[in-house]
Amino acid sequence: MSAPVLAVRDISKTFGGIRAVDGVSFEVRAGEILGLIGPNGSGKSTLFNCILGQLRPDRGEVHVNSRAVSGRRACELNKLGVGRTFQQLSVFPQMSVLDNIILAGQEHTGTLLSRLFGKPDAGLTAQADQLIDFFRLRHLRDEMAGSLSYGQQKLVDAAMAFMAGPSLVLLDEPAGGVNLTMLAGLKERLLTYNREHGTTFVVIEHNMEFVMSLCTRIIVLAEGRIIAQGPPEEIRANPTVINAYLGG
Amino acid sequence: MSQFLQVLLSGLSTGAIYALAAIGFTLVWQAAQTVNFAQGEFVMLPAFFVLIGLHWLHLPLWLSLLFGLAAALLVLGVLFKKIVVEPMLPNGGMPLIIATMALSILLKEGVKQFYGAEAQPFPSLFGQTTMNWDGAIVSVQDVMNLVVALAVVAGLTFFLNRTRTGRCMQACAQNPGVAQILGVDIKRMTLYTFLINAALAALASFLISPIYLAKFSNGETLGLVAFIAAIVGGFNQIRGALAGGLLIGVLDNLTATYVTTEYRAALPLVLLIIIILWRPQGLLGVDEGRKV
Repeated sequence: MSAPVLAVRDISKTFGGIRAVDGVSFEVRAGEILGLIGPNGSGKSTLFNCILGQLRPDRGEVHVNSRAVSGRRACELNKLGVGRTFQQLSVFPQMSVLDNIILAGQEHTGTLLSRLFGKPDAGLTAQADQLIDFFRLRHLRDEMAGSLSYGQQKLVDAAMAFMAGPSLVLLDEPAGGVNLTMLAGLKERLLTYNREHGTTFVVIEHNMEFVMSLCTRIIVLAEGRIIAQGPPEEIRANPTVINAYLGG
Repeated sequence: MSQFLQVLLSGLSTGAIYALAAIGFTLVWQAAQTVNFAQGEFVMLPAFFVLIGLHWLHLPLWLSLLFGLAAALLVLGVLFKKIVVEPMLPNGGMPLIIATMALSILLKEGVKQFYGAEAQPFPSLFGQTTMNWDGAIVSVQDVMNLVVALAVVAGLTFFLNRTRTGRCMQACAQNPGVAQILGVDIKRMTLYTFLINAALAALASFLISPIYLAKFSNGETLGLVAFIAAIVGGFNQIRGALAGGLLIGVLDNLTATYVTTEYRAALPLVLLIIIILWRPQGLLGVDEGRKV
């Protein structure tokens, strides 16, 4: 079996007296789409932030492609092949859609001199255009990102996460606030990208229909701990999960 | 007509220097989401670095200017970021604003104690000659001040909009958390911003000191006018700071010449009130949504 793309080992994080994440361990294999679900306050976002270096865990380690990344800054993690989308809107509002997507890839190319004084398109326009077409944003290519609807900005956010060609993408509530039509399109795009590029996804999501139909495996968190994990159909039927999260 | 031309050009020249200082407010706002109330003193101080080079180290003028620029980059760029901004910023914007007020007093009183309270003559970079332009007697220094300031602002705008580093600096200003996730080194970009601010302050200092002389208290008026210029033009836009600076410079000169000199100091404040009531984001500013 190949080494995991992401290995989370015994991560714990407390805020004051509250234990947000408590000894969480799991692995994600190449090409897998893992869903992280749980009620509000179960520690999903804290776990994401610990994985991405935005929070320093009190205990535990994170390995990406067999490299220990604990303590690394978020900008370094991006260069190791980790992309992320955000729960809240995360575009650069006063830049065009094209410029947003180019910017997401430009720190990965060129020499120090070209990164300092090179042209802002960084030779990435064609690649950005491919992603624009892939996410069906062609008609919005030159619009200011801040002027787009919430759902459109979510698509731009997703395109930005893929621009650097990551091996692992963490998607934080990609379905939040997106209308049903756009949501179906987003799911189809993510599945296609996963199939064509073998990119690994870890998804935090509250929309059960979306997460169950997108993911190949689900981990359920409650009060900072893993209470269940397995294929979506098992999770749906798991009495502990139903009791703690899904409800009757 | 010739008098109007003279007044207009002189106002544009002074306004362009205000604009250099005002852009500093804009840059620091974008990098640290705070207001640097020591900005006036940032413009006052580099002239004294040059005077130290000239009179104490006996360097030629060009080398003294380089010395002044290097000292400004170190003190107002690197040290300001490391000693004041970085330790204070995690505590929020307000403590940092108060820290810059304290820094303003420290710099002003420091120069007064260290160099003296007397106004010091400062050599003109472009001589004292004048030229006749369609009947108007125009100072070469005024023309060159305007040309140099506009060229620097144009260069800065080009750098920010047409280079990868400039684009990254804009990204950090618009959404630092996301920029970091995308691989942008925010600390490096913030340092560049403070270095650019220090360089602009040094340039403004070298251009304005031959006119107003180098004095420890120069920053008081200059800082206030530049602050107002930044608000009038639009605090979050470099072109806004430029427009605000030029507008105040020209209106100030026109008022003093054609209306009264008694109330010229009040003019920027009147303009500020009008703009805040009519267009709070400034003439060229962009409305910013803020989370609470």
